[in-house]
Amino acid sequence: MTILATEGLTKRFPRVTALDRLTISAGSGVTGLVGANGAGKSTLIKLLLGLLPPTEGTATVLGLSPATQSLDIRRAVGYMPEHDCLPPDVSATEFTVHMAQMSGLPRTAARERAADTLRHVGLYEERYRPIGGYSTGMRQRVKLAQALVHDPQLVFLDEPTNGLDPQGRDDMLALIRRIGTEFGISVVVTSHLLGELERVCDNVIVIDGGRLLRSSSIEEFTQATQSITVEVEEGQEALAERLTAAGQRVTAHGRLLTIDVSSPGTYDVVRDAVCDLDLSLVRLEQGRHRIEDVFRQEVSHV
Amino acid sequence: MSEPVSVPAPGAPPTPTGVIHDIGYRHYEGPRLGRGHALAALTLHSLRGIFGLGRTARGKIMPFLLAGVMMLPAVVSIAVMALIKRQGVSYPSYAVTMQAVLAVFLAAQSPYLVAPDLRFRVLPLYLSRPTTTADYVVAKLAAMALAMFLLIAVPLTVLFVGELLVDLPGPPNTGDYLAAMATSVIYAVLLASVGVVLASFTPRRGLGVAAVIALYLLSSAISAVLVGVLMSVSRDGAAAWAWLINPFFLVDAVQVWLFGTNPNNDGGYPAGAGGPVAAVAVLAVIALCVTALVLRYRKAASS
Repeated sequence: MTILATEGLTKRFPRVTALDRLTISAGSGVTGLVGANGAGKSTLIKLLLGLLPPTEGTATVLGLSPATQSLDIRRAVGYMPEHDCLPPDVSATEFTVHMAQMSGLPRTAARERAADTLRHVGLYEERYRPIGGYSTGMRQRVKLAQALVHDPQLVFLDEPTNGLDPQGRDDMLALIRRIGTEFGISVVVTSHLLGELERVCDNVIVIDGGRLLRSSSIEEFTQATQSITVEVEEGQEALAERLTAAGQRVTAHGRLLTIDVSSPGTYDVVRDAVCDLDLSLVRLEQGRHRIEDVFRQEVSHV
Repeated sequence: MSEPVSVPAPGAPPTPTGVIHDIGYRHYEGPRLGRGHALAALTLHSLRGIFGLGRTARGKIMPFLLAGVMMLPAVVSIAVMALIKRQGVSYPSYAVTMQAVLAVFLAAQSPYLVAPDLRFRVLPLYLSRPTTTADYVVAKLAAMALAMFLLIAVPLTVLFVGELLVDLPGPPNTGDYLAAMATSVIYAVLLASVGVVLASFTPRRGLGVAAVIALYLLSSAISAVLVGVLMSVSRDGAAAWAWLINPFFLVDAVQVWLFGTNPNNDGGYPAGAGGPVAAVAVLAVIALCVTALVLRYRKAASS
């Protein structure tokens, strides 16, 4: 089922072109929208919500047109902006209840849903305190709660991991995965870190400078870019030689060796080589890919 | 060593106490109401905010202090009526007499209404819901107008109830009371539109407060100086027009024209055209402010 689609969508501001004939589509599940800062991610979300009129092109969200049915779209969609958007002098509970009412929920239902949603995002006793005293992690949770409180069919999460520490990032990503699977709400999540989205998304759309760079399922992505990183205490030169001799493509990055995975047999070859050379294995992990890698790849393809 | 609780009878189902069940995510199946409901919710939320309800104790001090001051003349008047059986402050003069308090309330609370949404960027959250910029403007104006109306109408009503209870000689001043109540609607709408539009142009509360109070001081000072100068050169006709520069006397002139009450300035308002002109001026100011507000928020929404 297609939850959103654009056709030649273009947005020009007086000085910059934010989106340039963008044609994408996304199905249900978790869709990652990746791009560097200024790639047009936030502009795309605003166009899809009907908050900005497009210069050219069309879009549909949940089968509705943002140009004519933006109110119906906004009733069925949740939005978590990238920037801070919380008043400091009200409590998370009061704020979330108010936002639920603004989405059309009656007051008692709004109270119930707000309590449920705040619990789901992981805010407990602190939800009765004014938001002004919250940490960045708690604020991100409140922002997420207000986007979910009216039980939307689709949520747009704009840079939800911004400003979070590694633990907070992991929690947020796990929560996003739960929203997409357990809650049954489709998610469009933006980030400038592809490695982060790899862990939670079903599909990834990469845009750069307002143009579509790539759109594919996450499996295709990881297949195309699979590699493993090996770190041994001593003797990485010997290991590199042996692996090269065994027909693997090995590149050295300081103390680390990166080996391209050509087949599942690669893992066995690495294991055997480490054992035979009697080396102390420190680390063996899947290579993390950043957005830059995709850009480099796409450019070399052209 | 006897713990009967932990030993369930064989065959009986275990009865755990105090277990929190994670029932997982539940979808919302209930009704989803329309724009009207959201508009009412935003108006009520804003009105509560103006009086500091649901906010910190510090936010409640100013509005309740000023509302208390607004009640003083009514309370004193009731005491006067009870003791010496004569009417104290008259209904149509209440708002004009208390104009400084009303102006301070407007200046202090209208930035509270709009500035935080701009400063903390809450506005995008409203606009990403089924709420248009027009809905937002209407709700904010309605909340401020309601607050100003309550501020004037509550003391008037208390005073009227007091008058009925004290039972002065002669018929009660029901006509004056109703005229003052109707005029307080005009006061509320005019003051709210001016206050909210000025406050909405800056995301900083301090500047908003200063702008509203400066406009009031400026208009009342210009009006008073002009009246003084024109009276001293015996141009009483022109002086009568100069009163209308002060928004409170402007509305008072409309009250005199509509309900035939006594003017609350020295020397009255221009005869003949004065009333209709004042009424048109009130409507023009309101229209101007609402247009400016809509344009302001259309710009804020697209950024």
